[in-house]
Amino acid sequence: MGLFDKLASWLGLKKEVNVLCLGLDNSGKTTIINQLKPSNAQTQDIVPTIGFNIEKFKTSSLSFTVFDMSGQGRYRNLWEHYYKEGQAIIFVIDSADKLRMVVAKEELDTLLNHPDVKHRRIPILFFANKMDVRDSLSSVKVSQMLCLENIKDKPWHICATNALKGEGLQEGVDWLQGTRDLQDGLCLCYIFII
Amino acid sequence: MYFILSGSPIEIAFHFYPWLEAHSDPVAGLNTLSSCMDLADLSGDGENCLVVADLGSSSSGSLGSGMKLKVFRGTSLVSESSLLDLPSGLVAFFMDLNEPRVPALAVASGPCVYVYKNLRPYFKFTLPGLEVDPLEQEVWQQVRLGQIDTVALKDLLEGIRTKSELPLSQRSLRFLSLEPENMEEFVMMHQGQPIRRQTVITCMGTLKKSTADEDGVSCLVIGTESSEVYVLDPEAFIILAKMCVPAPPVVMDVSGQFDVEFRITVACRDGAVYILRRDYDKPKYCVELSSHCVGLVRVGKTVVVGCSDQTLQGFTQKGKRLWSVPLPAPITSMAPMRLSSRGFSGVLVALASCELRLYQDQWVLNTQRTPEPVTALTFGRYGREDGTVVMATQGGAMLVHILRRTASLQKPEGGGPPGAQSVRLNVPKKSQLFVDQTLREREQGPLMHRAFHRDLLRTRLRTAQAYSRALEASTGPSSEQGPVKLHAAVQGLGPNFRLTLYVVNAAALRPITGLSLCMLYDPALYTVAPPLLRLPLLAPGLTYALQTRVTCTGPALCDVIKVCVLQEGRSAPLLTAHINMPLPEAL
Repeated sequence: MGLFDKLASWLGLKKEVNVLCLGLDNSGKTTIINQLKPSNAQTQDIVPTIGFNIEKFKTSSLSFTVFDMSGQGRYRNLWEHYYKEGQAIIFVIDSADKLRMVVAKEELDTLLNHPDVKHRRIPILFFANKMDVRDSLSSVKVSQMLCLENIKDKPWHICATNALKGEGLQEGVDWLQGTRDLQDGLCLCYIFII
Repeated sequence: MYFILSGSPIEIAFHFYPWLEAHSDPVAGLNTLSSCMDLADLSGDGENCLVVADLGSSSSGSLGSGMKLKVFRGTSLVSESSLLDLPSGLVAFFMDLNEPRVPALAVASGPCVYVYKNLRPYFKFTLPGLEVDPLEQEVWQQVRLGQIDTVALKDLLEGIRTKSELPLSQRSLRFLSLEPENMEEFVMMHQGQPIRRQTVITCMGTLKKSTADEDGVSCLVIGTESSEVYVLDPEAFIILAKMCVPAPPVVMDVSGQFDVEFRITVACRDGAVYILRRDYDKPKYCVELSSHCVGLVRVGKTVVVGCSDQTLQGFTQKGKRLWSVPLPAPITSMAPMRLSSRGFSGVLVALASCELRLYQDQWVLNTQRTPEPVTALTFGRYGREDGTVVMATQGGAMLVHILRRTASLQKPEGGGPPGAQSVRLNVPKKSQLFVDQTLREREQGPLMHRAFHRDLLRTRLRTAQAYSRALEASTGPSSEQGPVKLHAAVQGLGPNFRLTLYVVNAAALRPITGLSLCMLYDPALYTVAPPLLRLPLLAPGLTYALQTRVTCTGPALCDVIKVCVLQEGRSAPLLTAHINMPLPEAL
């Protein structure tokens, strides 16, 4: 943690970060966000998201505002309108759905080639979800199928998760907090605040 | 150029390849046809499965081994059960209103429809037997009573076969094909059972009962070898309607609702497409095809028929042909492509040349290569993706292609009739004169035609006469009398010109002597120096260039200077050239 962060945490200020949560339908985006919320704010039944939801949760140093976008085919064209605001992206993949891995790759390629994302060093966190399902692909296999090694100009990280139990989620959020790019982008804000 | 290509590969790919190759299993072992393939949500969780009635492997001895009902979910085979007979059709349909909404499967094979619920056998419907010749029945009765032996039976059945209008039953036909030593045994085995004549199902479809909902209760529509089309009630499995067509149906497409109005489009073995409607037991419309039908698909209000002469033809619902497009290879399989979320409907056509083409009306929107010829294909929701095409290839592979979300399904630019065709011509209004003229033309057509021909012939005659006169007078640039050719060039802007005359002796061997060139001109306009040129001996094949000066003295006018080739001792010129002088610019 840098000096400003310490200062900020003494002051009780938390940095606001806008995060986009993307991925195909039925990949577990809403479930993941639900798990990240404090236990008293969690809901029991998750239904397919229509349009998008805005959720907020806090970690030790950051205050996240998550745009939980709907992954259904007819709502996917909404994603690109929020790329500008996003300071980080969480991309959720259903690692048990081998058939649609190519669709996930297609959507990821579209995202990475979008003018609002292409030239920014925006951190991307991949959740290879549904690790508990039998025959699901490992996170290494998922990153191979999505050709993640080709992403050279953005920091990225992939975690195997099970959103139903919340396994692996914290690892991903910790990585997101620690990325330099997110920090650097925010330091300027603190200078103004202080 | 390099930059463009390397900078935007994604955009280029989007435009040209609408399909994502999601899955390919070369060893899936599928041997099936489009009619034996369907996509349905068998588990009721919103994830569609692929149901295939596999025809089995024809390589392992007799046809009819390893016939299976296979269910695929995602990339894997989840269920497999044996079929009793060779399947001729498979459909998923809702037979009741029970929750959860899980469709039943109907597999047609032989004379029966086997209905499966939750992948378990539920009901077997057998088509009613056909009428048996009473004489045939009588003969078999006598056999049972021991009144006639097998030799007499054979003769009697042969007689019935040739005379009777009704065909013989399966048993009699089988009996006649046996060797004499096996006949006795066959008769002993079968004489106790009553004689029956059964037909066979050739194709099957579904028809919504009363609502157009996606999950509305559907009736089964069955086409049989005996040239009949049946509509079955989904709950009681009784025959609701029976229609006759002139030939056994091969492919069918059904639209509408049974209780309201429906259309059954059937392509039959006589090379015609018949359109059946509610309350008619005979076809309402008939389309005679140029060749046999290999696939039939309805897209909106157009019926698209693939023919064996490598054409794809579109018809209205009343059987009027709208268009026909030639294909580069024979059709192996066809399927409709309806994408309600994008308001798109087209036809997928698989060709023997390993291509999968997407047609919207007569326009090809896309051509995709496949590793092998595709024998069966179906389009719809598979897994959780709406725009998916599932294919089975000749070698038994299973291919799944998913339509890109960003794929453009636009008709190609420049497709269809050229733009000029739609521009309205500025046709003037019909005047009284025009009407009078038209009437006159109609009444006196032959007379006018004759008058025209007379004038035409006269013109030709005049032309020929003038030409022959010119030749006789040698006033043309080529001559009949001597093989001398002349052409001229005028150089200069004026008033001084240089006239260069090129003379060629076109004779093969003989040189010509004693020729001279003479200029004839208007002395008020030009002076020519010298006006007469003597030609040297003209060796054959050589071009002689002679020059003379022409000065324009009069007013600035264009005139003709005649150049005559003269021979000593002849009064008429050998040939004459007319030179059009240019306008002198400097005057």
